[in-house]
Amino acid sequence: MKKLLFLAVMGLFCLPAFSQILSTNKAQVSFYSKTPLEDIEAKSITGNSVIDVKTGKIIFRVNNRSFEFPKKLMQEHFNENYMESDKYPTSEFKGTLSAPINLAKDGLIKMDVDGMLTVHGVTKPCKAKVDILVSKGTVSATSTFKIKIADHKIDIPTIVFKKIAEEIEVRIQATYLEKK
Amino acid sequence: MKKNTNKLRLCISLLAIMISFNGYGQDALEKAMATSGGKSEKVIATFKATKLINGHTNETLYKHELDFKVDHRFGDIAGSNGGIKKFFGLDNSTDVRIGFEYGVTDKLTIGLARAKGATAVQQLYEGSLKYRLLEQTVDDKVPLAVTLFGSNTIAAVEANKDDPTAATSYRNFRERMNWVAQIILARKFSSNLSFSLTPSYVHRNLTTFRDPNDLFAIGAGGRLKFTKRMALVVDYFLPFRNKADKEYVEAQRATKFYNPLGVGLEMETGGHVFHINFTNATAIQEMQFIPETTSSWLKGQYRWGFSISRRFSFDRKKAKSEGKE
Repeated sequence: MKKLLFLAVMGLFCLPAFSQILSTNKAQVSFYSKTPLEDIEAKSITGNSVIDVKTGKIIFRVNNRSFEFPKKLMQEHFNENYMESDKYPTSEFKGTLSAPINLAKDGLIKMDVDGMLTVHGVTKPCKAKVDILVSKGTVSATSTFKIKIADHKIDIPTIVFKKIAEEIEVRIQATYLEKK
Repeated sequence: MKKNTNKLRLCISLLAIMISFNGYGQDALEKAMATSGGKSEKVIATFKATKLINGHTNETLYKHELDFKVDHRFGDIAGSNGGIKKFFGLDNSTDVRIGFEYGVTDKLTIGLARAKGATAVQQLYEGSLKYRLLEQTVDDKVPLAVTLFGSNTIAAVEANKDDPTAATSYRNFRERMNWVAQIILARKFSSNLSFSLTPSYVHRNLTTFRDPNDLFAIGAGGRLKFTKRMALVVDYFLPFRNKADKEYVEAQRATKFYNPLGVGLEMETGGHVFHINFTNATAIQEMQFIPETTSSWLKGQYRWGFSISRRFSFDRKKAKSEGKE
């Protein structure tokens, strides 16, 4: 009897470790560059992300080619000249939430996420505030943070320097569902 | 006692399994990411402009974009018509072209242009259509980009009524027309290197005696990007003329035909594309530089040329709808 109970407890411990991964491939990532000369915004709706609610570990990846700009030529320049998407096809964040997520308890939790951000092949530590909304076993995450272009060695030629902000605001919105 | 060791053994093995499962959990996180399958992405920016030096590239404009382009060719740098007395060609201009292109869709570009014209056939008005038939994909399912180009150039120069054998002895409007059809095959080999091959057909409604109305040619071009915004561009055309006719026309005009070769530097600054080039072709329009290049690199008859292209986008609809969200 004791043995059985022990087994059940052990089982409970190890089960969540592989069953509580939630994922999405429709995460929205948008970024904004605001300068007096020109406001630029772009959006991808095909961000890929997985989250382990138990450990709070999170991986977020977006294909640079999937960002859509209001002007297609701008999009071409973004890929060709700034992000060099041939060489660095994706931008990625790997990190950990400040607390695990309890799927059983619905509600909004404000927490931090801390990890490494890789953009344009350059990895930098990145910290952001994130709002986690738990509702009926799904997790929605929203976050806004800023990236310095210079941190990631993205060259802006002096002729267009004033049209592109030094700091880019990034907004994330992702709704995670249980991985089938 | 024995029961206890058994329990301990079980405990350890379960712990080991648990740890391994946790490890599996990490991997699963990575694995869950890897499963997203991508569709064939299209290769972008095989070339940076719709033209290399003389010839067209496979590139078209995006929807609702307007490209304003000025091309200029100066006089011979060296040779009998160049040198310091002509300020290395800068005193003369053999051809000037001002053109507008507009992207009807991402695939179809229409163009209107006015060129001076480098031979006796002058005051040229060009209407053109360019259609992107196939786009190269990153995964090489489509290894080549294919673009079709067609143009009609009308010479508005006053008809030469005195000499019925002249190239401008137009008797009617139809004779002023010149057609060009090209199939532009292009491939981006790496992010820095692109090539194109352009089978071309030129039809001139009026030509001088034994100068062919129909002429086939093949063009080849390349672009080597050596910094993020600078590239070396080259293009060359090889017209297929009948040898006997060619020699006859050459003898009649006391000149020789050469194949147009252009070498240039391309600079791109977000919306602007500048070309500084050297070419032996005096003309800018296809219907002239393919059949009518009579100047030679080897005789110093090459010239400075430049082109400036500025692209404006009028596609603001998407920006507005995104702003509403």
